[in-house]
Formats: sequence, C-alpha cells, structure tokens
Amino acid sequence: MFKKILAAAAALGAFIAPVHASDLSDMSWNEIVAQAKEEGNVTWYVWYLQDDFRRAISSFEDEYGIAVRIPDGDNAGNSQKMLAEKDRKTGDIDVFAWGYDSFETVELSTLFNSLNNLPKDDGRVSKLAGVDGGDHVLAFWGNQSGIAYDPAKVSSADLPQSVEDFAKFWTDHPNKFGFNYEKGGSGPSFYQNVLRNVAGVDFTNGEVSDARLSALQPGFDFFNKYAENYIITASNVDNINRVSDKELWMAPAWEDHLAGLQNRGEVRKEIKFYIPEMGMNGGGNGVAIPKNAPHPAAAMVFVNWLTSPDTQTMFNRDFGTAPMNAAADDSAALVPNEQRAFRQSWGKQPFRSKVEEAFIDNVILER
Amino acid sequence: MTLRDWVPIFALLVPGLGLILVLIGSVVYVAVAQSFGYYALLGQSAFSLEFWSDVFDRKLFSRAVRYSIYVGFWSAVLSVALAYPLAIWLRKPFPGSIGLGALLKAPLLVHGLVAAFLYINVISYNGLLNQFMQGIGIWSEPRRLQNDPNAFGVLLLQVWKNMPFALLLLTGAVQSISDDILDASRDLGAGPWARFCKIIAPLSISGMQAAMVIIFIGALADFTFQTTVGPTNRQSMAQLMVSFKSRGDWHSAAVVGVSLMTIALLGSALLAFTSRVIMRGGLR
Amino acid sequence: MTYERLNSLLITMVVTVAFIWLAIPFTMAVLWSLVDPAEPWTADKLLPPVMSFYRWVDMWENSSLRYALISSYTLAPSAALLGLCLALPTAFALGRFDFPGREFAKLLCLLPLVVPPFITAIFFSALLFQLGLNTWRFGAIVFAHSILFLPYAIRILTVSFETVRQDHIDAARDLGASAWARFRVAYLPALKPGISATLLIVFIQSIEEFAIAFIIGSPDIVTIPTLLYSALGQDFVRPNAAVLSLILVVPNVFLMLILERLMRSANPTLSSGKG
Repeated sequence: MFKKILAAAAALGAFIAPVHASDLSDMSWNEIVAQAKEEGNVTWYVWYLQDDFRRAISSFEDEYGIAVRIPDGDNAGNSQKMLAEKDRKTGDIDVFAWGYDSFETVELSTLFNSLNNLPKDDGRVSKLAGVDGGDHVLAFWGNQSGIAYDPAKVSSADLPQSVEDFAKFWTDHPNKFGFNYEKGGSGPSFYQNVLRNVAGVDFTNGEVSDARLSALQPGFDFFNKYAENYIITASNVDNINRVSDKELWMAPAWEDHLAGLQNRGEVRKEIKFYIPEMGMNGGGNGVAIPKNAPHPAAAMVFVNWLTSPDTQTMFNRDFGTAPMNAAADDSAALVPNEQRAFRQSWGKQPFRSKVEEAFIDNVILER
Repeated sequence: MTLRDWVPIFALLVPGLGLILVLIGSVVYVAVAQSFGYYALLGQSAFSLEFWSDVFDRKLFSRAVRYSIYVGFWSAVLSVALAYPLAIWLRKPFPGSIGLGALLKAPLLVHGLVAAFLYINVISYNGLLNQFMQGIGIWSEPRRLQNDPNAFGVLLLQVWKNMPFALLLLTGAVQSISDDILDASRDLGAGPWARFCKIIAPLSISGMQAAMVIIFIGALADFTFQTTVGPTNRQSMAQLMVSFKSRGDWHSAAVVGVSLMTIALLGSALLAFTSRVIMRGGLR
Repeated sequence: MTYERLNSLLITMVVTVAFIWLAIPFTMAVLWSLVDPAEPWTADKLLPPVMSFYRWVDMWENSSLRYALISSYTLAPSAALLGLCLALPTAFALGRFDFPGREFAKLLCLLPLVVPPFITAIFFSALLFQLGLNTWRFGAIVFAHSILFLPYAIRILTVSFETVRQDHIDAARDLGASAWARFRVAYLPALKPGISATLLIVFIQSIEEFAIAFIIGSPDIVTIPTLLYSALGQDFVRPNAAVLSLILVVPNVFLMLILERLMRSANPTLSSGKG
C-alpha cells in the first residue's frame, strides 16, 4: 500500500504520455458519427446556466439519438475536476466548457484532443479574447462587457462615453459608480480600457518591459485622483445586485450575465445595458475535449453541433450571445448593433497579467 | 523510553496520524515542490527560487500575511472568549438548557456561503439595518457598511460560525470538572473569578487550545467570507492564492499556499503555547 | 439576588441575543425562499413584493435535490463513523501517554486542515484516482472526508482522553474489572461528550464539503453543496440557496438535539458520582 501511494504521488502531475489517445484521427466524419451513436451518450461539464442548457440541447438529442448529461457544478469545481483526473485512464468529462482566457492557464496539447477531425467549417472561432485555442479549443459562447445602469437615475442621453465623461460622472455623483477588480471580468474590462485610453498603451502587444509598465502611471494617477468618488465592489454579481438594489446607478457587467439574472427574476428588469464609446472588452467561453474523455466520438459530434451556425443562431436568439460562427444570424442581440463597434479585445498576455498586478499594487492597495 | 514502550504508541498512531502523514504528507510534498517550479501545469518543470523571491517582494503579499493573521487571531480569540462564559453557565443542566445549547449551536448548520449572503442583505446600503437606523432617526442617510475596511464583517461572520464550535468543545471540557473541586474551592472562599482562574481554566485548557487552534487555522485561510464581505483594499492569503491560480501562475499560488501552511502550523503552536502559559503560569 | 433570579435573568438575556443572532438570519432565509421569480426582491423593500412557494416546489420537483439529500445524508454519517474509528487509537495515544514529541505529533495531526483547499482538491483527489479508489465513488468520498476531517476528531477525542481520571481507572483495575469493563466504567463516561462532538463536527464538515465530493463523485453522485455552489456561483440564485439551507436545517436540528441528549446523559460529573 505504502509503495503504491509513493508511486502514485510521484506520478502526480508528471504528465504521463496519454495512454488512451482516442484514435479518431484516421476516421472519416461518417465513421465518427457512427461510433458516436454507438457510444450513445455524452457528458458536458459547463459551469453556468445548466438548466437552460439542458433545455437547449434537446434538438441535438433528437437529431443524433445521443443523450446529453449536464452535471451541476461551478467554475472552480469543474476546472479542479478536469485537472485532478487528467492522469486517469478514462475520465468522466467528455466536453469541457471554460472561460476562454482560462484555457490559457494550462497546456492545451497535453490535456485536450485535437479537433482537426471536425467537418471543415471556416466560420468557427478558435481565436477569442486575445487567446488562440489552436486545434484544441473552439468558442461556443460570445459575450460582451459593458455598463449596467438604472434608467431611473441616468437617462440614456447622459450616459458617460469617454474617460472624461466617467470622471465627470464620478465628481457629479460621488459613489454612485462601482466596479470589481477580481471575481469576474467586467470590472477589469472597465479599468483596463480606462488605462488604455488615458495612458495610450497598446494592449494588443503582449510584451512586458519596465518602460511599458511605467507608461501606465498616468492611468493609475487618474484612478487615484478620483479614488473618493467611486466604489470597489466584490464581484460581477455584486455589481449588478447593487445597481438593482438602488445603491449604485452604474456598474460594469456582462451582457449575458445581466440578461440571465433578469430572466430568473434575480434583479430588476428595468436595468439597462450599454457599451461606452471608449470601448469595453468582448469575451466568451470555449469547449474542448479532454484526452481521457469516456465518449470521444460523441464528444466530437457534440462540439460540431454546438459550434454550428444553427446552434449559434439559436443561442443568439435565446440568450442574446454574440454568435461564434461566422455563418450564424446575429440579429437578436440585446444592444443595438452600432454599439458593437466599441467592442475591444482583451490585452495580450503576459502583459495583461502584469497590468492587473500593477493595478492592484498602485490603485487598490492605495485606497 | 525503551523500544518496548514505543511499539504500542506507534501502533496506536498508525491509523490516525500515520494515514495523515502518508496521504496528506504527499500532497504537502507536491505543494512544496510546485512552489519551487516542479509539477508545472503550464510550461516546463524546473527548479527555481524565482517564485519565492518574486512573491516575497510584493507589498501585496506582506499585507495579505498580516491581514490573514489579524483575521485568524481575532476570530479565534473572540469566539473562545464568547464561548467560555456560556459553557460555564451551561455546565450544570437546568430546565431548557438542552434547547438553549442547541439554539446557540444552530449557526453550525448554516453553510458559510448562505450566512454571507444573508449578512450582506442585512447591512446593504438600502438594507434592514440602514432602514432601521434611519427609521428611529439615528442616521439621517444610509451608510455604506459593505466591505468595511476593518474587516468587522468578516470577524462577525467568523465568530457567528465558529463560536458554536468553541462552545461544543468547551462544554465538554468544563463538564468534566467534578463538582467536588469547585465546591471545595467555594468553601475555601474563592470568588467566581478566582474559581475560573485557579480551577476551570487550568482544567479545561486542552479543550480551549483545540478550539483556538482549529478556529485560527480556518479563519486564517478564509476565502468565502473575505471575497464576499471583506475589505476590497486588502486581500487574504487564500484570496491571493486563488488570484494567482486563476491567472495560470500555479507556482506563485503554491508559494502563497506553502506560506499559509507554515503560518498555520507555527501560529497554532504559538497560540497553544501562549494560552497554556497565560492560563497556567501567568495566573497562578 | 437569588441564584434562580439570576439564572432566569441570564436566560432572558441570552435568549434575546440569540434571537437577534439567529432570528434575523433565519427569517431572512425564509423570506428569500419565498421570493417569486415574477419580481425580484431588492434591498429597499422590507418584504419580497411577490411571495409564493414556487421555489420550494420547483427545487423539489425539478432538481437533483432529493437524490442529493439521500447521498449527503448517507455520506456524512459514514464519514463521521469512519473518522471516529480512525481517530480513536491516535487520540488514545496522544491523550493517555506522555512520550517525547507528543506536542509535535499533535501539531502534525492538523496537516489536513492547513493544506490549501485547491491543492487538496486537485492533488489529493488525483492521488485517490491513482490509487484506483474511484471505482467505488461512494467509498472514496467517505474515505477522503474521514481523512480530511481527522484533525477535528483527533483533537476533540484527545481532549476527552485527557479528562479520563486515573483514579477511576485504578479503582476499576483494583476491583478486578476486565479490560472491557474498565473501558465501560472509567473511559466511556468521559469519552461520550467527545464522541458525540466528533460525530457532529465531522458530520457537519462532510455535509458542507464541496470540492472533493464533487471531483470524485460527479457526475454519478450529487451532494447538497454541489447544488448550493451551483446556485450561488455565477447565476446567484439566492432564493434557491435559501430553500436548500432551510431544507438542511430541519434534519440537522433533530440530529443535534439527539446528540445533545446523548451528551447530557453522559455528563461525567453526574454519572460517575463523587469521585
């Protein structure tokens, strides 16, 4: 027993070459579909809106006769499970959904199967939010950060559009605006775009140097100058709740998150959303198939369905997401399409992480 | 001690401490190795001291250490200080004491996540407390109590959740003190405070230490309360660890994790030692 | 003032404090559970604008709640019992023998508590997977929980073993009692409170633990915290979380009352007479 434990401990995290490389690579798509039907079911670990997804996948089940199982769970739980069982011969996860930038925290080729065998479709998206998913990750859910506001307090004509407008709003209405710097990307999207505008630093360049980081100083000064007039909140959901509770008038939010909370009767339906002209980031979620997926063929067929134009059109209609297939219809968005032009991409790594650290050191800790 | 004395002790320790050392010990080993650059989940594994020096250089880290110790220490001390009088009072059963004991322990049954969201509800800007204070005319306008900078919210929730645990341990310890000793000391003219210092405290010290240490460790590593009601201009160590992890910096996360473990163990030893000195030596 | 007067005054005081301490949060939980999805409850309103039992009915009928209740309430007692059995010998050694390094051994027993949760979640579960324990998910979770919460069991029982009185043991031995009889008369009365405290604490820890139970159990075994973390994660469905915690409170209160009674009957100051 003791020896076995030692051996097991030594093997932990050692990235043993995958024993179970599911051999789909030399199969035709028809053969993969046939095998998928034989496998009969697929387990999709997705960390949000599980109830809605359980309804949304019924057309897949009808079309292929493959049952889809969507377990309950949250983001941290799902990702820890994926990492904990990476060395198992056969795992529990067939298809794994994750925030697109989270995929950047692991080695894609050692964890996930190649998706090269999907039928060719140039409309699919594998580069999103400044992250390249390569052959291993495809986007299935596009979302947009912006500002949630209470129309009873701020009229649509008075909405701040530029950095200066925000500064004026803060001065005119102290402590009616709040943003988070962690536990969710809406606040970081806001402060990074302010930094980009004030300091004029190019976020599409991922290179880290002292000169580039010190160039951010005017941006930090901007936040420190108005420190008394805005609030730091705890998370994405805290932002929206405090606008709904009439404490704040405006706060950063994700478009799909706000819509979801409103649909469930969690927050007031009156709250509105816009993308300021200074720009806010778009983001999204992707899917990948773990190397030890128990039903690799069915997983492949499911990913194909999930990223297809029809499914993406349906998600746009039902959830208001930005479609992640070029051929999909995107007419049903929650914000007018002209505002979409203000969409920005997340900064390139590793520069972005350094900016986040510097923001904490220079702004958050100075409060 | 001879080998003959050691054999039974060893045999007794195997199923408990033995299992812990083998199973959790190897996990600790992984964490330590990870902080030195091994077990990489991203990129190559190679020995490096860089993560330690980088993390230790940051102001954020030293602040997190101080802040976590502050929360851990006060949560433990306040919980135990509140639980002691209650435990002594509930030592001898009286009508309703069972119900009362159960009532006091009810927070044990409420999940921390739920406690946190209920607390926010009460203290939020337009919440119950603000409405009440304005209603009776003490405050003229709502005050912002959420994420207070002194972490009183965190301490309140920690005490709310942990006091019952301390009470549970202390009730057991205080009840095992026999009536004779207390009666004898009363006959000799010892007042309540003298009885507490000379008899109850020394005889219940083990239970008190256990409560102290376990609450300290839990509050030191707090994540849930800190990220919902804690101050937003400071981070706890657990929070810092998770933020490193979510940026894919697994090694720095492990550095914070290993530091957290070290502080937890050293702090526990220190707390146990000091409380023993205060309760036994200092007051005698 | 007489002792009785003082006592009833104290009772009134503590009950008042306990009322604020408990009644407010629990009333809030009840109100939250009654929020109808038709209209949200915002902080500026004293009561939810629309109230119904929709969430209760919906949770009961459309979620894995019933299944999760069964698994949580079988997992947690099993983990508590196994933890107790594993802890007893070590606690006996730590509580009754004075050996060099005893304090250090006590400190080492705390290890499972000090390892950061995400490290335990990823690497401890990976270790269990490597050992092949996952073929029986239920057993693996019980085992993992009993190891993780051993520190509570060991510390609590050590305290109990320390309170066993040597004169009781000696007296029993002098009277020629067998090992079992000696355990029953000298040890058990002092251990009972510790045993029930251990069972209670490990039970509660196990029923609240999310990460390990999820990683090993999912997708076959769903526990209550999985539902809770789903509810209070991204989508933040507060009414559902309130329903869940209220549903948990009822069986837990009964359980605690039973344990409280066991503990009381075992009060050593009463049952062992004048020692």
